[in-house]
Amino acid sequence: MLPLAAVSGCDGADVLAAPPSPAPAVTVLREAIAAEQLMITRYTTALHQAGAAGGSAGSLAGTLEPLLAEHRAHLAQLRSRLIVPAGSKASPAAPHERAPAPVPSGVSTSVAFLRTAEQDAVTAMRQRLHRAPSSLAQLYASIGASEATHVPVLDAAAARVTP
Amino acid sequence: MSGRVPSAPGTVRALQTALTAEHAAVYGYGVAGAYLTGSTQAAAAMNDWVAHQVARDHLEAVLRSLGAQPTAAAVAYQLPAPVRNASEAVALAVVLEERIATAYLGLVALSNDSIRDYGARQVQASALRAAAWRGGTVAFPGMTAAALARSRKRS
Repeated sequence: MLPLAAVSGCDGADVLAAPPSPAPAVTVLREAIAAEQLMITRYTTALHQAGAAGGSAGSLAGTLEPLLAEHRAHLAQLRSRLIVPAGSKASPAAPHERAPAPVPSGVSTSVAFLRTAEQDAVTAMRQRLHRAPSSLAQLYASIGASEATHVPVLDAAAARVTP
Repeated sequence: MSGRVPSAPGTVRALQTALTAEHAAVYGYGVAGAYLTGSTQAAAAMNDWVAHQVARDHLEAVLRSLGAQPTAAAVAYQLPAPVRNASEAVALAVVLEERIATAYLGLVALSNDSIRDYGARQVQASALRAAAWRGGTVAFPGMTAAALARSRKRS
């Protein structure tokens, strides 16, 4: 009599082995999710700083809040593309390899910091294009384009805020 | 676009779609420009009109290099709304750029790296022009709500 595993063609040891590594596209998607989460944290911090500073800095909220809302929309779309298996404890976002730089204090400095962060995000999103299936590539391109439009908005805000 | 571009039917179709959108944009900016007479807006309209002519010429060259006949421009295009003054001209420019961004997202969906990168750069350029005309940004340039829902199901 053959063992059941041989009859079924299954290898019991493989069935119980560790789950396979995620596909490269999944890793890239997790990176994109982590990047948006970080951007949202940065905007939230900058908004708190501007609110605390008051005066002309307080008016920055009218500029930063719409951009923050767009990053939240980006994050929601990216998260909706990631299917996490039921019962999985894995975080939907990839952890950052290094601790991200904190938002500097000072309103004009923080606006300049956000501008640089947006430019870096555009570059990173473009690099993800080539490691993505078609529908995700379109989403990355659209999000990257949106983030590129944030740069001139922050330039104009920087001109309004006195250091 | 650099490197070898594959001449698959899907590639040619997506390039023709982008070219058709560029033809419409060149025509549309010609109409809008007539109503944008302030120095800043007139200069912006002229810059954008030229940018679309350059993109059109590039797409035509790529299509010819693939052995395809580039789609010709129509004599006239139906405008999405009447243009009778500067604010309607600005609204037209925004619509043209949104349609251009959507067309270039078709190139981003192709698997060739060079075309995908070119498409993404054009989506970005269009989003910047649209934001300047609109005076505001959007979360997903070139993607309609329906397209976002459709691509979410596919991925």
